[in-house]
Amino acid sequence: MKLKINGVERQVAADWQNENLLTVLREHFGLTGSRFSCGIGQCGACLVHVDGIPMTSCLIPVSEVVDKDVLTIEGLAAEDGTLHPLQQAWVDERVPQCGYCQSGQIMQALALLQNTPQPDDADIDRAMSGNLCRCGTYTRIRKSIKKAALVMKEAG
Amino acid sequence: MVQLTRRNFLIATGWVAGGVTVLYTLRNRAVAVAPTIIIPNKESGAAWVQIRSDGSCLMYFTRVEMGQNANTGLAQIVAEELNIELEDIEAVQPSTSDIAPIAVTAGSMSLTAFSRPTAMAAATLRESMRALAAVKLGESLSMILDDAGGFQTADKRKVSYADLVDKDSVMVEFDDTKPSPALYTFDPQRSKKQVGRDATPIGIRGLVTGAAVYTADVPMQGVLYGRAIKPPVRSARITSLDTSGVAETSGFVELVRQGEFVGVVCKTPSALDAAMSKINVTWDLKIPINQDEIDRLIDVDAEMADGDLEHVLQDEAHRKDADWLIDLRFDVQTQSHAAQEPRAAIARFGDGSGAHKLEIWTGSQDPWGMKRFAAMDTGLSEDDVVVYAKRLGGGFGGREHYEVERDAVILARAVKRPVKVQWTRKDEFTASRCRPASAHRLRIATDDAGNLSDWWYGYITGHVVFSRERLPGWLLPVARLAGDMGVVKGALAPYSAPHQRVEYKDVDLPIDLGVWRSLNGAPAIFAIESAMDELAVQQGMDPVDFKIAQMKGKQPRLQVCLERVREMSGRRSLPHGSGYGRGFACGIFDDRSFVAVSADIHVDEIAQEIKVLHMCCVQDVGMAVNPDQLRAQAEGNMAWSVGMALLERFEVADDEIKSSNYDNYAIVRMSDMPSVDVEVVDQPSIPPAGAGEVALVAGPPAIANAIRNATGFRALRLPIAFADISS
Repeated sequence: MKLKINGVERQVAADWQNENLLTVLREHFGLTGSRFSCGIGQCGACLVHVDGIPMTSCLIPVSEVVDKDVLTIEGLAAEDGTLHPLQQAWVDERVPQCGYCQSGQIMQALALLQNTPQPDDADIDRAMSGNLCRCGTYTRIRKSIKKAALVMKEAG
Repeated sequence: MVQLTRRNFLIATGWVAGGVTVLYTLRNRAVAVAPTIIIPNKESGAAWVQIRSDGSCLMYFTRVEMGQNANTGLAQIVAEELNIELEDIEAVQPSTSDIAPIAVTAGSMSLTAFSRPTAMAAATLRESMRALAAVKLGESLSMILDDAGGFQTADKRKVSYADLVDKDSVMVEFDDTKPSPALYTFDPQRSKKQVGRDATPIGIRGLVTGAAVYTADVPMQGVLYGRAIKPPVRSARITSLDTSGVAETSGFVELVRQGEFVGVVCKTPSALDAAMSKINVTWDLKIPINQDEIDRLIDVDAEMADGDLEHVLQDEAHRKDADWLIDLRFDVQTQSHAAQEPRAAIARFGDGSGAHKLEIWTGSQDPWGMKRFAAMDTGLSEDDVVVYAKRLGGGFGGREHYEVERDAVILARAVKRPVKVQWTRKDEFTASRCRPASAHRLRIATDDAGNLSDWWYGYITGHVVFSRERLPGWLLPVARLAGDMGVVKGALAPYSAPHQRVEYKDVDLPIDLGVWRSLNGAPAIFAIESAMDELAVQQGMDPVDFKIAQMKGKQPRLQVCLERVREMSGRRSLPHGSGYGRGFACGIFDDRSFVAVSADIHVDEIAQEIKVLHMCCVQDVGMAVNPDQLRAQAEGNMAWSVGMALLERFEVADDEIKSSNYDNYAIVRMSDMPSVDVEVVDQPSIPPAGAGEVALVAGPPAIANAIRNATGFRALRLPIAFADISS
């Protein structure tokens, strides 16, 4: 059983083939940036992209993503460490408080900008309302998405 | 002159490998920064700051990090005192073996209690380095002037910190009974470089790349997965236990029963879920768990009709039979912490080869407390236990107890392997110790001029700090007699009346209770600010003018907040049309933190919803060490205000806690979140006070008062539903 994670092909060992994708990412491959929070796809802390589609990895059996492309928060920055414009905007606006949900927030925002490069407030509400942040960093998330959208537009 | 000595203590703990370290002992201020359970003694210094032999600065974080970014503020203070940049500081979250015990991170006390000791430690270090510079440059001490990263003379001979230290270890002993060196941080005349600027929180990059390490992220060779059954309340006892089929689960390792503790260890998380689902427990609850029972226990009217409440906070010429213009009861709901990270712990028992027999990784607000309890629990000596404090994915008062740590310790000991325990979301809702429900009766009368003459406020709430199972049973009655400091937060109004009585009673409720952001502050101030708003409206007065008038000039800082928030909110006009309203509220937290909030809301008849459109917040917590992070905390508190006023509804019924996940306990989402403007009142000459839970006291009543303004409906019960208004 293999899947491609952040561009690298990975083999899932036999002991881990009955787990969900989140568990395999975290416990088997040590990619702990995607996080467990609700376990029922209600909060978005575990959000990753599977073949470009945002999905809550706590709900997906790993067997369902065999041979698919999985993108996690660890795969977002460039190899030289340059942050993705979304990540940079998150730093510039000093979004995170406790930070636990922010990987999922950024991955959801990435999906939003891929579909809607210049989102308005209603677009952001629609796309982001499944990603909970108990600390309440929403106003800064909103600002960062708009900022990153501008940066990405200017960069073409 | 500062005394330079060596200390074996720090060498033993690996602190000193060359360089200059401050061993700073807290004597006068021991109480303020003492952990809940460990008072530092004369021998236990707190070594927090060090110039290492390469001239770089190492700072141990004295606070547990849970999003409040207090450590960044403290690092700004160190940078200010040492004339270095924030980037020059290597910040490390210490284990319990790295430094002497430090207080629990709670109560928004981090900057209040630690800013001065941190400044003194860093300033002492700076002055010690200055003495070394004087020797090196052959000048008298007074000729050695500050320079970035070191010192210089008037004729520009420079010496850096790196030039002044060598491989010899130097310990500087200092304590707060000695004369303080000049503290740059607290000099209001000084133009500051680090303190007072919007510094980016240390470690933020890891939070946007996924590299930050919370407890469950700690890599651990050979780790197993464990969990224990959580009872509906901690006082429940098992009446029957059926574990048939558990041991047959694929991946099963061990079932552990120890009194009321029932836990399982498995090889993978899914095996653990499967095994846990096979356990059937019935409980003897001893008390029924339902909302009617809670309502009965907090029935403030029934209790006040019977006579005085148990505790009296204020009693001045009280008149029971005044001509009450306001006589309202406010009910505030139970709320859960619902932190995004379900708590986790990893425990590992050593084979005897390492320095510690038991290692624990946990995101606890009280690492030294965890160490002590783990030692008591296992019979090990405290020296044999080390706790590695990890970042918390939200605390809010709910992470102070030895619980998930205990789960991990018991299970790891049973299987002789490292065990990771992470609570389920349902465990979190069941066992996080809620903010208690409360009921408040407020009566207000005025004199002929319309000023407050009589104020009679009585309330009943569940316990907060001295809740059941938070203290040993024998200690509870004694502690409760002395008064629960969590229960009285916010109860004294900032308004003056010649005849006043404030009384309360705190009671056991059938669910587990504890500390939750602002403690009783938000519930009490919701009642007070709603009642004052209602009185103003009924008298045809502007609520802001009326409140300021009734402060009688005795609350200048609060008054400024209220005046400024009115001005701020006025920059944006309310949309035309029906259902729009604006409300104001203000409050004081811990006598030191002042806040005023405005809320613009829309009661939307078509969508059948109450929407908070915009909030303004003006906050004065003294010196603004990092204004941006003060704003961040205020923004978060506005989100919590919307949740408390409109959304969060903790359900108990049928002897169960029904709220179990985010699908049946709503917290604020992006679409619920209003736009927010925050203004920070900087007071460079007033030491910083807490900011983590201040604005939450004024947000909910501002929203309720806005609904009153829009519709005429006075909310007497939280959370407020659209249906409440139309009915």
